[in-house]
Amino acid sequence: MVEYQLLRAHSLEEALEILAEKNNVEILAGGTDLLVDLHHQDEKFDNIDYLLDITAVEELKGIKLGAETGEIGALTSHAEIVSSPEIKEKLPFIAAAASSIGSTQIRNRATIGGNLANAAACADSFSPLIALGAELVLRSKDGARRVLLEDFVEWPFQTIKKDKEILEKIVFKMPQGEYYSSYQKIGRRKALSISRISLTLLAEVENGAVKKAQVASGAATPFPVPFRKVNKYLNGKSYAEIDPVEAGNIASDEMVGITGERWSTPYKRPALGKLVERAIADLLEEAGYNG
Amino acid sequence: MAKLDVELTVNGARHKLEVGSQERLLDTLRKQLKLTGTKEGCSVGECGACTVIVDDQAVNSCMVLTAQVDGSQIITVEGLESKSGLHPLQKAFIDKQAVQCGFCTPGMLMSALALLKSNPEPSQEEIKTALEGNLCRCTGYQQIIDAVEMAAEEWGA
Repeated sequence: MVEYQLLRAHSLEEALEILAEKNNVEILAGGTDLLVDLHHQDEKFDNIDYLLDITAVEELKGIKLGAETGEIGALTSHAEIVSSPEIKEKLPFIAAAASSIGSTQIRNRATIGGNLANAAACADSFSPLIALGAELVLRSKDGARRVLLEDFVEWPFQTIKKDKEILEKIVFKMPQGEYYSSYQKIGRRKALSISRISLTLLAEVENGAVKKAQVASGAATPFPVPFRKVNKYLNGKSYAEIDPVEAGNIASDEMVGITGERWSTPYKRPALGKLVERAIADLLEEAGYNG
Repeated sequence: MAKLDVELTVNGARHKLEVGSQERLLDTLRKQLKLTGTKEGCSVGECGACTVIVDDQAVNSCMVLTAQVDGSQIITVEGLESKSGLHPLQKAFIDKQAVQCGFCTPGMLMSALALLKSNPEPSQEEIKTALEGNLCRCTGYQQIIDAVEMAAEEWGA
């Protein structure tokens, strides 16, 4: 039987104080992953002495988008992201990813920071934020540090966040000028599906050509990574020069370069390629290019 | 293990309770408050049978610790019927034959209620999104969607 003392923090300062003072503390946010494991008495709780519920910490909630930079509090729920008019207008790929997560009930509780800190290989919040070049603010009682999201996960369910740190917020530069995006996901059903593969393409464009492309994927690799070779392929190309099939092949090769040939490769190679093709088709359509 | 003091308002009635540190809202409702209309199906957030409304939002009560919702307003299926009779949603579920075995019905009603409270005139797509976290193995869903549409019309009228 798992045993722990449940603590509730009502401010960030209180949460950081508890983390500084006590050892073997697990942080509880929306709980849609953690409480399932807890109910099954998962052995990962064997060494936990305290469960720290942070759901009442208001400072960790909210979305602020400026002209140059933006930030999303770690405790912002997926439902809040989906219903934010400014996310929908300026960062629609983040809204698309959030709306693909779980169900209404899950999105009402589950948080973007929890999705990142839990760091499942299939977590849907990674690819849009990696495409955005997002950084995480990790705060402890001694201060804060910023880490690139693409460097955050070491292995599925393992991150570089230290025990005394809390994931405070996600910060990023806003895309500039003319830009288009696409979020793609393959799951086994529409609602409540765990991603087989997901993909975000974000591209800043100028004069009918891609200026800066950012492609990132979820669930294709053990931990989410940006696809730099695809970015390189797309950068500088005019719409007419882009071959979506070639871009898809480059992404698939890049994925297999990381994972090696696995049992799932015969499925994932063409599936990822197709998602890249669809994302590029979305992009060109949004840009009003019809070949 | 240490108990925690919490205060909940459930269907308008205030309760001061002692809960365990691993006690889920579902357990508190069913075991302490004897509100057994809320059902436990999958226990992992897939089926929605345990859906209740916490501070105006539909949530799976199997995925919330009671201590996390200290001070909240909670509505369960028992809160639908009033002195004036059945709620329009309940009437519509009966009229449209949206109930077969009935196990999913309390959760369906709560998801539908949360939707109609925030969006009194939902489109069919919005109804489907609101109910996507609730599984029904009997009806095939169409009657349930019809019932929510009917309730929206009657409730708004």
